Amino acid sequence: MQNNRIQMIQFEINYTTNEVNNYMRMLYQVGDIYNKNILLNHLWEKVNYLGYLNQLMTTYIPQSQLPQKPSPTVPNITVPNKTFTKEELAKVTGKNGNPAYIAVNGVVYDVTNNAAWAAATHFGLSAGNDLTQEFKSCHPSGQRILDQLSVVGRLVL
Amino acid sequence: MTELVYSNSLMAAEGERAIQKLMDLVNSDEEFILAVEGAIATKNDGLFNIIGRWQGEPLTALKAAKMLGEKAMHIIAVGACATHGGFSAAKPNPSGSVGLQTILPDKKVIKLPGCPTHPDWFLGTLASLLMYGEIELDRRDRPLLFYSTTIHDRCPRRTYFNQGIFAKKLGEKTCLFKLGCRGPVTRTDCPTRQWDGYVNWPIGADTPCIGCAQFGFPDQMSPFISFDTTEES
Ligand code: SF4
Repeated sequence: MQNNRIQMIQFEINYTTNEVNNYMRMLYQVGDIYNKNILLNHLWEKVNYLGYLNQLMTTYIPQSQLPQKPSPTVPNITVPNKTFTKEELAKVTGKNGNPAYIAVNGVVYDVTNNAAWAAATHFGLSAGNDLTQEFKSCHPSGQRILDQLSVVGRLVL
Repeated sequence: MTELVYSNSLMAAEGERAIQKLMDLVNSDEEFILAVEGAIATKNDGLFNIIGRWQGEPLTALKAAKMLGEKAMHIIAVGACATHGGFSAAKPNPSGSVGLQTILPDKKVIKLPGCPTHPDWFLGTLASLLMYGEIELDRRDRPLLFYSTTIHDRCPRRTYFNQGIFAKKLGEKTCLFKLGCRGPVTRTDCPTRQWDGYVNWPIGADTPCIGCAQFGFPDQMSPFISFDTTEES
Protein backbone atom coordinates (compact mmCIF):
# COMPACT_ATOMS: atom_id res chain seq x y z
CA MET A 1 0.00 0.00 0.00
CA GLN A 2 2.70 2.40 1.11
CA ASN A 3 4.84 1.43 -1.87
CA ASN A 4 1.96 1.87 -4.22
CA ARG A 5 1.42 5.39 -3.02
CA ILE A 6 5.08 6.23 -3.33
CA GLN A 7 5.11 4.80 -6.84
CA MET A 8 2.12 6.87 -7.77
CA ILE A 9 3.75 10.01 -6.48
CA GLN A 10 6.94 9.17 -8.36
CA PHE A 11 4.92 8.72 -11.50
CA GLU A 12 3.30 12.11 -10.96
CA ILE A 13 6.71 13.70 -10.38
CA ASN A 14 8.10 12.28 -13.62
CA TYR A 15 5.04 13.28 -15.51
CA THR A 16 5.07 16.81 -14.13
CA THR A 17 8.79 17.20 -14.78
CA ASN A 18 8.18 16.28 -18.41
CA GLU A 19 5.43 18.86 -18.57
CA VAL A 20 7.74 21.49 -17.11
CA ASN A 21 10.38 20.67 -19.72
CA ASN A 22 7.81 20.86 -22.42
CA TYR A 23 6.54 24.25 -21.25
CA MET A 24 10.07 25.58 -21.13
CA ARG A 25 10.72 24.46 -24.71
CA MET A 26 7.46 26.09 -25.75
CA LEU A 27 8.54 29.33 -24.07
CA TYR A 28 11.46 29.50 -26.51
CA GLN A 29 9.11 29.10 -29.42
CA VAL A 30 6.21 31.46 -28.76
CA GLY A 31 6.66 35.00 -29.94
CA ASP A 32 3.70 36.83 -28.49
CA ILE A 33 3.58 38.08 -24.97
CA TYR A 34 0.09 36.73 -24.30
CA ASN A 35 1.04 33.11 -24.81
CA LYS A 36 4.28 33.70 -22.92
CA ASN A 37 2.33 34.92 -19.90
CA ILE A 38 0.02 31.94 -20.03
CA LEU A 39 2.94 29.52 -20.25
CA LEU A 40 4.64 31.27 -17.36
CA ASN A 41 1.52 30.83 -15.28
CA HIS A 42 1.37 27.13 -16.16
CA LEU A 43 5.01 26.78 -15.17
CA TRP A 44 4.31 28.35 -11.78
CA GLU A 45 1.42 25.94 -11.24
CA LYS A 46 3.55 22.94 -12.13
CA VAL A 47 6.44 23.99 -9.93
CA ASN A 48 4.02 24.50 -7.04
CA TYR A 49 2.61 21.06 -7.72
CA LEU A 50 6.10 19.55 -7.61
CA GLY A 51 6.63 21.19 -4.23
CA TYR A 52 3.37 19.69 -3.04
CA LEU A 53 4.29 16.22 -4.31
CA ASN A 54 7.62 16.49 -2.58
CA GLN A 55 5.90 17.21 0.73
CA LEU A 56 3.41 14.43 0.18
CA MET A 57 6.25 12.00 -0.41
CA THR A 58 7.89 12.77 2.90
CA THR A 59 4.67 11.88 4.71
CA TYR A 60 4.80 8.36 3.24
CA ILE A 61 8.48 7.61 3.67
CA PRO A 62 9.33 6.17 7.08
CA GLN A 63 11.16 8.64 9.29
CA SER A 64 14.26 6.45 9.50
CA GLN A 65 14.79 6.63 5.73
CA LEU A 66 14.61 10.39 5.49
CA PRO A 67 17.87 12.30 5.34
CA GLN A 68 18.67 13.47 8.85
CA LYS A 69 17.93 17.11 9.32
CA PRO A 70 19.64 18.95 12.14
CA SER A 71 17.13 18.97 14.97
CA PRO A 72 15.01 22.08 14.66
CA THR A 73 16.28 24.83 16.86
CA VAL A 74 13.75 25.83 19.44
CA PRO A 75 12.42 29.21 18.39
CA ASN A 76 13.87 31.90 20.54
CA ILE A 77 10.84 33.02 22.48
CA THR A 78 12.71 34.63 25.29
CA VAL A 79 11.85 38.30 25.17
CA PRO A 80 14.85 40.62 25.22
CA ASN A 81 15.11 42.71 28.35
CA LYS A 82 14.52 45.95 26.50
CA THR A 83 11.37 47.78 27.49
CA PHE A 84 9.39 50.39 25.62
CA THR A 85 6.97 52.95 26.92
CA LYS A 86 4.12 54.04 24.69
CA GLU A 87 6.04 57.24 23.96
CA GLU A 88 9.17 55.35 22.97
CA LEU A 89 7.15 53.02 20.79
CA ALA A 90 5.54 56.00 19.08
CA LYS A 91 8.96 57.00 17.77
CA VAL A 92 9.73 53.78 15.91
CA THR A 93 7.24 54.37 13.13
CA GLY A 94 9.36 53.21 10.23
CA LYS A 95 9.59 56.78 8.95
CA ASN A 96 12.76 58.72 8.19
CA GLY A 97 15.10 55.79 8.52
CA ASN A 98 13.69 54.44 11.78
CA PRO A 99 12.82 50.80 12.16
CA ALA A 100 9.12 49.87 12.28
CA TYR A 101 7.94 48.33 15.57
CA ILE A 102 4.47 47.37 16.73
CA ALA A 103 3.18 46.00 20.03
CA VAL A 104 0.73 43.11 20.46
CA ASN A 105 -0.22 41.69 23.86
CA GLY A 106 2.56 43.63 25.55
CA VAL A 107 5.31 42.33 23.27
CA VAL A 108 7.10 44.62 20.84
CA TYR A 109 7.78 43.16 17.39
CA ASP A 110 9.93 44.32 14.50
CA VAL A 111 8.00 44.57 11.21
CA THR A 112 10.57 46.65 9.34
CA ASN A 113 11.09 44.05 6.65
CA ASN A 114 7.83 42.17 6.96
CA ALA A 115 6.29 41.80 3.50
CA ALA A 116 2.80 42.70 4.69
CA TRP A 117 4.11 45.96 6.19
CA ALA A 118 5.28 47.83 3.10
CA ALA A 119 6.13 51.44 3.96
CA ALA A 120 5.48 50.58 7.64
CA THR A 121 1.72 50.45 7.07
CA HIS A 122 -0.67 47.52 7.00
CA PHE A 123 -4.35 47.85 6.02
CA GLY A 124 -4.55 51.41 7.25
CA LEU A 125 -2.57 50.74 10.46
CA SER A 126 0.82 52.33 11.10
CA ALA A 127 3.87 51.14 12.96
CA GLY A 128 4.74 52.71 16.30
CA ASN A 129 1.44 51.68 17.88
CA ASP A 130 -0.01 49.11 20.24
CA LEU A 131 -2.18 47.06 17.88
CA THR A 132 -3.42 44.40 20.29
CA GLN A 133 -7.11 45.09 19.63
CA GLU A 134 -6.70 45.38 15.88
CA PHE A 135 -4.70 42.17 15.75
CA LYS A 136 -7.32 40.32 17.74
CA SER A 137 -10.15 41.48 15.52
CA CYS A 138 -8.43 40.50 12.25
CA HIS A 139 -6.33 37.45 13.21
CA PRO A 140 -8.21 35.84 16.10
CA SER A 141 -6.03 32.71 16.08
CA GLY A 142 -2.96 34.44 14.84
CA GLN A 143 -0.23 33.27 17.22
CA ARG A 144 1.48 31.63 14.23
CA ILE A 145 1.79 35.04 12.60
CA LEU A 146 3.35 36.53 15.73
CA ASP A 147 5.77 33.63 16.09
CA GLN A 148 7.31 34.54 12.77
CA LEU A 149 8.14 38.09 13.80
CA SER A 150 11.28 39.00 15.65
CA VAL A 151 10.73 40.18 19.20
CA VAL A 152 12.52 43.34 20.29
CA GLY A 153 11.19 43.88 23.79
CA ARG A 154 8.25 44.51 26.08
CA LEU A 155 5.76 47.29 26.26
CA VAL A 156 5.46 48.81 29.71
CA LEU A 157 2.46 50.85 30.63
CA MET B 1 -25.98 31.81 -26.48
CA THR B 2 -26.18 35.04 -24.53
CA GLU B 3 -28.27 38.11 -24.92
CA LEU B 4 -27.05 41.35 -23.49
CA VAL B 5 -30.28 42.78 -22.11
CA TYR B 6 -29.02 45.93 -20.46
CA SER B 7 -25.69 47.70 -20.43
CA ASN B 8 -25.76 51.47 -20.11
CA SER B 9 -22.71 51.92 -22.31
CA LEU B 10 -23.28 49.24 -24.95
CA MET B 11 -27.03 49.24 -25.60
CA ALA B 12 -28.79 51.26 -28.28
CA ALA B 13 -31.89 52.22 -26.27
CA GLU B 14 -31.81 55.32 -24.09
CA GLY B 15 -33.79 56.82 -21.23
CA GLU B 16 -36.99 55.12 -20.15
CA ARG B 17 -36.76 52.77 -23.12
CA ALA B 18 -33.55 51.39 -21.73
CA ILE B 19 -35.02 51.01 -18.26
CA GLN B 20 -38.03 49.34 -19.86
CA LYS B 21 -35.72 46.43 -20.78
CA LEU B 22 -34.84 45.95 -17.12
CA MET B 23 -38.48 46.10 -16.07
CA ASP B 24 -39.52 43.61 -18.76
CA LEU B 25 -36.81 41.26 -17.55
CA VAL B 26 -37.89 41.47 -13.92
CA ASN B 27 -41.50 40.82 -14.86
CA SER B 28 -40.68 37.84 -17.06
CA ASP B 29 -39.65 34.33 -16.04
CA GLU B 30 -36.38 34.54 -17.91
CA GLU B 31 -33.25 33.42 -16.15
CA PHE B 32 -30.53 36.05 -16.13
CA ILE B 33 -27.10 36.89 -14.78
CA LEU B 34 -26.73 40.23 -13.03
CA ALA B 35 -23.35 41.97 -13.19
CA VAL B 36 -23.11 45.20 -11.25
CA GLU B 37 -20.48 47.90 -11.51
CA GLY B 38 -20.26 50.70 -8.98
CA ALA B 39 -21.20 50.99 -5.33
CA ILE B 40 -24.73 51.28 -4.00
CA ALA B 41 -25.41 54.60 -2.28
CA THR B 42 -27.70 54.14 0.71
CA LYS B 43 -28.17 57.66 2.16
CA ASN B 44 -31.41 59.53 1.31
CA ASP B 45 -33.05 56.37 0.01
CA GLY B 46 -30.22 55.86 -2.44
CA LEU B 47 -30.74 59.16 -4.22
CA PHE B 48 -26.99 59.70 -4.50
CA ASN B 49 -26.87 57.15 -7.30
CA ILE B 50 -29.60 57.28 -9.92
CA ILE B 51 -29.25 54.94 -12.88
CA GLY B 52 -32.20 56.21 -14.90
CA ARG B 53 -35.84 57.27 -14.72
CA TRP B 54 -38.90 55.09 -14.68
CA GLN B 55 -42.42 56.47 -15.12
CA GLY B 56 -41.07 59.91 -14.42
CA GLU B 57 -39.49 58.91 -11.12
CA PRO B 58 -35.76 58.49 -10.54
CA LEU B 59 -34.67 54.85 -10.34
CA THR B 60 -31.93 54.49 -7.74
CA ALA B 61 -29.15 51.93 -7.90
CA LEU B 62 -30.33 50.78 -4.47
CA LYS B 63 -33.79 49.94 -5.74
CA ALA B 64 -32.62 48.43 -9.02
CA ALA B 65 -29.98 46.24 -7.36
CA LYS B 66 -32.47 44.88 -4.81
CA MET B 67 -35.11 44.27 -7.45
CA LEU B 68 -32.79 42.52 -9.91
CA GLY B 69 -30.65 40.84 -7.27
CA GLU B 70 -33.64 39.02 -5.82
CA LYS B 71 -34.40 37.36 -9.15
CA ALA B 72 -30.99 36.86 -10.76
CA MET B 73 -29.60 33.37 -11.21
CA HIS B 74 -26.04 34.52 -10.63
CA ILE B 75 -24.83 37.84 -9.27
CA ILE B 76 -21.40 39.21 -10.07
CA ALA B 77 -20.01 42.32 -8.39
CA VAL B 78 -17.52 43.79 -10.85
CA GLY B 79 -14.80 46.07 -9.53
CA ALA B 80 -13.81 47.53 -6.18
CA CYS B 81 -16.91 49.70 -5.67
CA ALA B 82 -19.39 46.90 -6.33
CA THR B 83 -17.49 44.33 -4.24
CA HIS B 84 -16.80 46.35 -1.10
CA GLY B 85 -17.57 50.02 -1.71
CA GLY B 86 -14.17 50.99 -3.10
CA PHE B 87 -13.59 54.65 -3.80
CA SER B 88 -17.27 55.48 -3.42
CA ALA B 89 -17.12 54.27 0.18
CA ALA B 90 -13.78 55.93 0.99
CA LYS B 91 -13.77 58.10 4.10
CA PRO B 92 -15.85 60.08 4.91
CA ASN B 93 -18.28 58.31 2.55
CA PRO B 94 -20.91 61.08 2.36
CA SER B 95 -23.28 59.01 0.20
CA GLY B 96 -23.25 56.00 2.54
CA SER B 97 -21.97 53.81 -0.29
CA VAL B 98 -21.67 50.06 0.26
CA GLY B 99 -20.84 46.99 -1.79
CA LEU B 100 -23.55 44.90 -3.38
CA GLN B 101 -23.40 42.14 -0.75
CA THR B 102 -24.44 44.54 1.99
CA ILE B 103 -27.80 45.17 0.39
CA LEU B 104 -28.24 41.54 -0.76
CA PRO B 105 -27.06 39.80 2.42
CA ASP B 106 -28.66 36.43 1.68
CA LYS B 107 -27.47 36.10 -1.90
CA LYS B 108 -24.33 34.54 -3.27
CA VAL B 109 -22.44 37.45 -4.78
CA ILE B 110 -19.38 36.51 -6.85
CA LYS B 111 -16.79 39.19 -6.17
CA LEU B 112 -14.29 40.49 -8.69
CA PRO B 113 -12.38 43.17 -6.77
CA GLY B 114 -9.98 45.38 -8.71
CA CYS B 115 -9.84 49.00 -9.73
CA PRO B 116 -10.43 48.28 -12.52
CA THR B 117 -11.29 44.61 -12.83
CA HIS B 118 -9.22 42.94 -15.53
CA PRO B 119 -11.44 42.22 -18.57
CA ASP B 120 -10.34 38.58 -18.40
CA TRP B 121 -11.45 38.24 -14.79
CA PHE B 122 -14.96 39.30 -15.73
CA LEU B 123 -15.26 37.54 -19.07
CA GLY B 124 -13.58 34.43 -17.66
CA THR B 125 -16.07 34.34 -14.80
CA LEU B 126 -18.99 34.88 -17.14
CA ALA B 127 -17.73 32.21 -19.53
CA SER B 128 -17.32 29.76 -16.68
CA LEU B 129 -20.88 30.39 -15.49
CA LEU B 130 -22.23 29.93 -19.00
CA MET B 131 -20.24 26.77 -19.66
CA TYR B 132 -20.28 25.02 -16.30
CA GLY B 133 -23.01 26.84 -14.40
CA GLU B 134 -20.54 27.68 -11.62
CA ILE B 135 -17.05 28.87 -10.78
CA GLU B 136 -14.86 27.83 -7.88
CA LEU B 137 -14.58 30.60 -5.27
CA ASP B 138 -12.37 31.30 -2.28
CA ARG B 139 -13.63 32.15 1.21
CA ARG B 140 -14.31 35.72 0.16
CA ASP B 141 -16.19 34.70 -2.99
CA ARG B 142 -13.43 35.51 -5.43
CA PRO B 143 -12.86 33.10 -8.36
CA LEU B 144 -9.82 30.96 -7.58
CA LEU B 145 -9.00 30.93 -11.27
CA PHE B 146 -7.82 34.54 -11.03
CA TYR B 147 -7.37 35.40 -7.36
CA SER B 148 -5.60 32.40 -5.84
CA THR B 149 -2.02 33.67 -5.44
CA THR B 150 -0.62 36.90 -4.06
CA ILE B 151 1.24 39.20 -6.42
CA HIS B 152 4.31 38.83 -4.19
CA ASP B 153 4.19 35.01 -4.66
CA ARG B 154 4.83 35.27 -8.38
CA CYS B 155 6.49 38.64 -8.67
CA PRO B 156 9.49 38.64 -11.03
CA ARG B 157 11.26 40.93 -8.52
CA ARG B 158 10.91 38.51 -5.64
CA THR B 159 14.61 37.67 -5.63
CA TYR B 160 15.36 41.34 -4.94
CA PHE B 161 12.96 41.24 -2.01
CA ASN B 162 14.58 38.11 -0.62
CA GLN B 163 18.03 39.71 -0.94
CA GLY B 164 16.85 42.98 0.61
CA ILE B 165 17.56 45.06 -2.50
CA PHE B 166 14.96 47.80 -2.52
CA ALA B 167 14.16 50.68 -4.86
CA LYS B 168 14.50 54.14 -3.30
CA LYS B 169 12.56 55.97 -5.96
CA LEU B 170 10.15 55.23 -8.76
CA GLY B 171 11.70 53.88 -11.93
CA GLU B 172 14.23 51.62 -10.26
CA LYS B 173 14.20 48.04 -11.44
CA THR B 174 14.36 46.35 -8.02
CA CYS B 175 11.80 45.41 -5.36
CA LEU B 176 9.37 48.24 -4.59
CA PHE B 177 8.63 47.14 -1.03
CA LYS B 178 10.10 50.18 0.72
CA LEU B 179 8.06 52.51 -1.45
CA GLY B 180 4.92 50.82 -0.19
CA CYS B 181 4.27 47.89 -2.53
CA ARG B 182 0.99 46.11 -1.67
CA GLY B 183 1.86 43.04 -3.72
CA PRO B 184 2.33 40.93 -0.58
CA VAL B 185 -1.26 41.53 0.57
CA THR B 186 -3.03 41.49 -2.79
CA ARG B 187 -4.29 38.39 -4.52
CA THR B 188 -4.43 38.50 -8.32
CA ASP B 189 -2.67 36.92 -11.27
CA CYS B 190 -1.25 40.26 -12.51
CA PRO B 191 2.39 39.03 -12.66
CA THR B 192 1.54 36.47 -15.34
CA ARG B 193 -1.61 37.93 -16.89
CA GLN B 194 -0.57 41.59 -17.14
CA TRP B 195 -2.59 44.48 -18.49
CA ASP B 196 -3.28 46.62 -21.55
CA GLY B 197 -3.35 43.76 -24.01
CA TYR B 198 -1.09 41.64 -21.79
CA VAL B 199 2.00 43.81 -22.21
CA ASN B 200 2.78 45.31 -18.83
CA TRP B 201 1.64 45.92 -15.25
CA PRO B 202 2.45 48.39 -12.46
CA ILE B 203 5.50 46.60 -11.06
CA GLY B 204 6.76 46.01 -14.61
CA ALA B 205 6.54 49.78 -15.06
CA ASP B 206 8.61 50.29 -11.85
CA THR B 207 5.81 51.65 -9.67
CA PRO B 208 4.54 49.84 -6.57
CA CYS B 209 1.34 47.80 -6.54
CA ILE B 210 -1.32 49.91 -4.80
CA GLY B 211 -3.46 46.94 -3.82
CA CYS B 212 -6.41 47.93 -6.01
CA ALA B 213 -7.78 44.39 -5.93
CA GLN B 214 -7.67 44.04 -2.14
CA PHE B 215 -10.77 44.51 0.00
CA GLY B 216 -10.68 47.88 1.73
CA PHE B 217 -9.01 49.66 -1.18
CA PRO B 218 -8.33 52.58 -1.28
CA ASP B 219 -8.38 53.62 2.41
CA GLN B 220 -6.75 50.50 3.79
CA MET B 221 -4.13 50.39 1.05
CA SER B 222 -2.94 53.96 1.54
CA PRO B 223 -0.42 55.51 1.41
CA PHE B 224 0.14 54.49 -2.20
CA ILE B 225 3.71 55.70 -2.09
CA SER B 226 6.16 56.61 0.69
CA PHE B 227 9.62 58.04 0.45
CA ASP B 228 10.46 58.72 4.11
CA THR B 229 10.58 55.08 4.92
CA THR B 230 12.29 52.46 7.07
CA GLU B 231 15.98 51.95 7.67
CA GLU B 232 18.20 50.00 5.35
CA SER B 233 18.46 46.39 6.33
S1 SF4 C 1 7.91 44.51 -5.95
FE1 SF4 C 1 6.20 44.16 -4.50
S2 SF4 C 1 5.31 42.18 -5.09
FE2 SF4 C 1 7.33 42.33 -6.08
S3 SF4 C 1 8.72 41.32 -4.62
FE3 SF4 C 1 8.75 43.50 -4.12
S4 SF4 C 1 7.17 43.72 -2.50
FE4 SF4 C 1 6.82 41.73 -3.51
